[in-house]
Amino acid sequence: MQYPTVPNRRRLLKTTAVGFGHLAFTAMLGQQAQAEGRDGVDSGIVSDAQSNPLTAKVPHLPARCKRIVFLFMKGGPSHVDTFDPKPMLDRDHGKPLPFDLPRVTFAKQGNLLKSPWQFSRHGESGLPVSELFPEVAKHIDDLCILRSVHGTNPAHGGALLKLHTGSDQFVRPSLGSWVTYGLGTENENLPAFVTICPTLAHGGVNNWGAAFLPAYCQGTPIGNASMPARSVQVRHIRNRRIDTQLQRQQLDLISAMNHDHLREMDGDQTLDGRLHSYELAYRMQASMPEIQDLERETAVTQRMYGIDNPVTEDFGRQCLMARRFLERGVRFVQVTHSDSEVQWDQHSNLYQGHTKNAAEVDLPIAGFLSDLKARGLLRDTLVIWGGEFGRTPTAQGNNGRDHNPHGFTMWMAGGGVQGGMAYGATDDYGYYAAVNKMHVHDLHATILHLLGLNHERLTYRYAGRDFRLTDVAGQVAKGILA
Amino acid sequence: MPRLTTCLICLYLIAGISIVTAEIPVADQEFFEKSVRPILAEHCQECHQADEISGGLRLDSKTGWMSGGDSGPAIVPGDPDASRLMAAVSYDDRDLQMPPRNKLADNQIAVLRAWILRGAPDPRVQTPQDAKGIIEASPGMSIQAGKSFWSMRPIGSPEPPRVSNSDWVQTPIDAFILAKLESQGLRPAPPADRRTLIRRITYDLTGLSPTQQEIDDFVADESPQAIQRVVERLLASPRYGVRWGRHWLDVARYADSNGLDENLAFGNAWRYRDYVVNAFNDDKPFDRFLVEQIAGDLLPDATNETKTATGFLVLGAKVLAEPDREKLEMDTIDEQIDVTGKVFLGMTLGCVRCHDHKFDPVKQTDYYALAAIFKSTRTFAESRTGAIKHWHEHVFADQHEVDAIASIDKLISQRKSAAASYKSQAISKLRQRTRAQAVEYLVAAAAFTPSATLNEITAIAEPSQLHPRVLHQCRLYLQHHPNEPFFAHWHQSTRAATKPEQAQAAIEQHYRPILKRLLEQRQKNPTARRLDDPELEAVRAIIDDNTGLLAVPAKPEYAFDAETLAEYDRLMEVARLFESDAGDLTAAMGVSDQAIVNQLAIHIRGSHLNLGEPVSRAFPEVMRFSPVPPIFPTHQSGRLELAHWMADSRHPLTARVYVNRLWRWHFGEGIVRTTENFGALGDRPSHPDLLDWLTRYFIASGWSTKEIHRMILASNTYQMASRHENPQRELAVDPDNRMWWKFRNERLQPEAIRDSILALSGQLDEAIGGKTVPLRNRQFVFNHTSVDHTKYDSVRRAIYLPVIRNNLYTFFAQYDYPDPTMPTGDRSATVVAPQALWMMNSDLVMDASERFADRLLEAASSDASRIESAYVQALGRTPTEAEKRRALSFIDQWSAVGRSDAATVDKSTTRRAWSLFCQSLMASNEFIYVK
Repeated sequence: MQYPTVPNRRRLLKTTAVGFGHLAFTAMLGQQAQAEGRDGVDSGIVSDAQSNPLTAKVPHLPARCKRIVFLFMKGGPSHVDTFDPKPMLDRDHGKPLPFDLPRVTFAKQGNLLKSPWQFSRHGESGLPVSELFPEVAKHIDDLCILRSVHGTNPAHGGALLKLHTGSDQFVRPSLGSWVTYGLGTENENLPAFVTICPTLAHGGVNNWGAAFLPAYCQGTPIGNASMPARSVQVRHIRNRRIDTQLQRQQLDLISAMNHDHLREMDGDQTLDGRLHSYELAYRMQASMPEIQDLERETAVTQRMYGIDNPVTEDFGRQCLMARRFLERGVRFVQVTHSDSEVQWDQHSNLYQGHTKNAAEVDLPIAGFLSDLKARGLLRDTLVIWGGEFGRTPTAQGNNGRDHNPHGFTMWMAGGGVQGGMAYGATDDYGYYAAVNKMHVHDLHATILHLLGLNHERLTYRYAGRDFRLTDVAGQVAKGILA
Repeated sequence: MPRLTTCLICLYLIAGISIVTAEIPVADQEFFEKSVRPILAEHCQECHQADEISGGLRLDSKTGWMSGGDSGPAIVPGDPDASRLMAAVSYDDRDLQMPPRNKLADNQIAVLRAWILRGAPDPRVQTPQDAKGIIEASPGMSIQAGKSFWSMRPIGSPEPPRVSNSDWVQTPIDAFILAKLESQGLRPAPPADRRTLIRRITYDLTGLSPTQQEIDDFVADESPQAIQRVVERLLASPRYGVRWGRHWLDVARYADSNGLDENLAFGNAWRYRDYVVNAFNDDKPFDRFLVEQIAGDLLPDATNETKTATGFLVLGAKVLAEPDREKLEMDTIDEQIDVTGKVFLGMTLGCVRCHDHKFDPVKQTDYYALAAIFKSTRTFAESRTGAIKHWHEHVFADQHEVDAIASIDKLISQRKSAAASYKSQAISKLRQRTRAQAVEYLVAAAAFTPSATLNEITAIAEPSQLHPRVLHQCRLYLQHHPNEPFFAHWHQSTRAATKPEQAQAAIEQHYRPILKRLLEQRQKNPTARRLDDPELEAVRAIIDDNTGLLAVPAKPEYAFDAETLAEYDRLMEVARLFESDAGDLTAAMGVSDQAIVNQLAIHIRGSHLNLGEPVSRAFPEVMRFSPVPPIFPTHQSGRLELAHWMADSRHPLTARVYVNRLWRWHFGEGIVRTTENFGALGDRPSHPDLLDWLTRYFIASGWSTKEIHRMILASNTYQMASRHENPQRELAVDPDNRMWWKFRNERLQPEAIRDSILALSGQLDEAIGGKTVPLRNRQFVFNHTSVDHTKYDSVRRAIYLPVIRNNLYTFFAQYDYPDPTMPTGDRSATVVAPQALWMMNSDLVMDASERFADRLLEAASSDASRIESAYVQALGRTPTEAEKRRALSFIDQWSAVGRSDAATVDKSTTRRAWSLFCQSLMASNEFIYVK
């Protein structure tokens, strides 16, 4: 005899997200979560199909964007050489910084070092961009340049963790995981959060991990920074020994075994979930390679992303893959520019390193923005560009710059932010954020706000405490909202 | 400014509750209203008022700034230089800047200064309504209330209750469980069948399935001692420590690498792991186990073993490259207090770093009293790798070994420098070549625009034997340096020419003689660093700039030809492998004492830059069971006293928390479900009397873990089936099964899944202990290259696979292996699709399936008996007739798939059919769930 299966929503929410998507457990689950004083109580966000944690959810506030792509420049691009020109730095080149250095600095610092690049004004907004980014500059009227971002940690690891998780002390859920937790996904056959070629150093997995959030919130890595984007894949996405037709028959056998077992176990939901997870995995095996197959794009599109040029090919592929994921409803995509030797970390050889790095990403980013715009995706996709910190206006050695978390530039485009705008400012030399300062917590609060999430209400109870991405800080930068 | 106006109106409304008093001179009052109040309202009060009170400070009333915030009064009337408010708004101190996002205008700062000079006249008197905000803001449970909170009360001595169905009671546990069930009119499930029971017990105690023989013996043993015999056999097996030690490693956040910011290998962590496995196998009394882990180095009878135990305090993930030494020290202490609190006391003490606990009766004074103890504890070593600090280790090596290791270190650095010098030689050869071809580069660069693709550039570069990437860089450099005099002719020529060839000819003509002269000068005096001719010297500087016009790519893949690159990679790999395999100094991670501090100042808001009152070493007040305060030795940190205090039978939490953990690990859910939180926000015990009874029994048995196993495993509660014959009332009253009316289905942990798969394939290596992380101590697991060298292909028991923070074994991570940076006593069991992908497509599962199939094909003679044997081995039972038929038809169908001619069936096809069948068994729910 079969007995009615009884819902235990909290437990299921916490434990079962079959697939990157999730099963419709609607029949089994009828109640809202109740504050039970236990871990895993959710955040007051209403899920429209109450059953499925990954089903798209109604946000707290009217959303200005639906999805996010973060173009992460690992190593820390220099703001005073890209989007934050400093005439005083040119003027006082070679002189000492006329005010105090931070209490803690990473390495010994020299005198002021002017930028080796010229800035010129672009677009109707007339905002300055250096000659490192001639292609991105053409999109300046869509960019919101955040010139007053600052963090707390001057080392790569700490700064990456802070930027990705809001904490440089403990392992905490990453931004993409919080977004997944808050909003679910729009495509149940794909992960909600994908990170393409992420770096395994400096926090590594923690930068896309779910920490104590439910497992379905964690980012799915596609390759890592040491692999060419051409070859990256989700792990175990393909069976290299048998073809899919034969595998189908094997799955039928497993399914038959599991159905017998399920009957014997009175229809236990978790077992049922696991049974279905094989079907989803099987479907995903088909869909992932299709999305990653960039040969399906026209030659024109491929050129737009620079895939025809070995210099831009790798990052171009990542960006194009990102667009294909975004189009199919993936909520959060991170693309990382980081190669095995030269990241944006020019402690020396600033000119050579930044020239190389910018040449690799400039055209792909511009192509990506054009493409998103042409497809009508830019309106509700928030594009974020930046590194874990900026660089010092003072020299390290004779031709490098050190880490600078005290004031640096990121930019946003699309998804509800004003274009052609420079928000905030650093001091005259670009060392410290000075006007409309935007701490990393503020950046996070603003990103969540754009998605329609209130950063103070997006909480998760763990070990007796309600955790937030922004901890006890964060303020939405209302000035940048369109 | 419409926004400002609205804002002001709002704030005036809020401020409207203040009462203006007549005592302030009119001029002062006007000054305040006109100049000061708008500044405070617009820039300060959003955070510093009744609803928010950031930093404990209110600026919406005079009382607010007079009493001040966490750091003391904000204003000293008449003395701006002594007023914290002025220090904050002046932005002089980088760590104290207000308002946080924008500095006030200079005239606004001047107004505040003038106001304070006037004596800070402020008409805003606090109303009772305002004052309420302050009282409410002081949170948490009082110590007095805390002492009567359930988990802080002394352990009770409850008697097992009387029940009506007394036949069901095999142990006192059953009496507690049944009494509660009966009180609700619920009935326990029937006993599990023998096959289910031995599979359950064997997985529970060893993490492996019983053998066919063991199952048969147990099924045949009808004596009342049958279960006891099985339990004793398993408890005596070394497999027991492998399984239960792993539980402890979950809460001890064990890992073989640091993995927070920088991922250096904990090459000696394995000694702590082995210590834990041994402790469980030896049934080390838990009170002793605790003392060794917290203070094993300070015991009068300290040994290498007890020192190794203190690895517990060092295993945390640390921000090793944190340049702020003080912050790092306090962060590390915080981690130690947090972990000690969660693991042993079920208390979230980490919350108290910044403020009194919001919910639990723990105050900041308690936290810093503990922090003072840890402050005197050494967690870091003197050595470092560049900016990356090392953790402390107890060195057990003698001088002979120290010397031997030093010479190995030398060999490692020799190999590393061999690779590095090969690289730099190759680079400098390449540089010489490009510099000699400077004219050719300048000429070729005129043939394309900066936006040309590398393919186009390559087509131009190769005929002239130029390096395409250097040529690309050269072209960008010219573009970025339009005003460099030396390039003036180049730019002129390219602008003037109508065809590239014209420009190229002009460039050739202009630059060839200059660079020829440069070459001659150099040949004349090859060792000279500078040339005497100033004009030529300027040219030389441009040509020789390593990162300029002719810069060679920094990345070897871009700089070198295939052959050079291969040699460089080979040398790098030689160095890495040599280092990975090199021996380590015999040492164990652990703490020792350092300079003793008796007191530590409270860190206001947790900041080491804002210190408050000092507190002396002490134990958290609410848990003190003796009115006599302890006296701490002046020559030791006090960890030993802390450890003994925690391990005291009178401590209300320690034994309760541990016994609850044991219950959780047997039953899949704790009596208190929040195993790390016995505080106000934690769960309440489902059976408080049972928990106290077991705790008392545990202490009385000499803190013996194995005694608790015996007690639990002998109970009917444990031996129930996971299926109730008619649970209608049970499901209605207790859908979560909190009252234990049946046994929970449990998914195996990933270790057990993997070990069982390897066992079926005949590959599992059951060796115990030893170093297994394939890295040298403090070697980088990952550096900036992200190349993943982590291998999980060992066939040892899963506990011996490396635990690499940041890069956990994918399979484990998918199956809810705990995050090894935080204590986890309650692993979850999620279901996500990647788990299925791993079962379907991973080499480990497919290889194991093939081996399992081979074993079946060799051992049995008929397909029917093979299928039977496969079921027994994998699932611990024989297949039904229907299952046999289904399996046979699968095999037949599969064997047919590969053949074009029905007459012959390829042997490898048959093997593959069996292998897929075996894989299906491993992938089935029955295999990975224990009833």
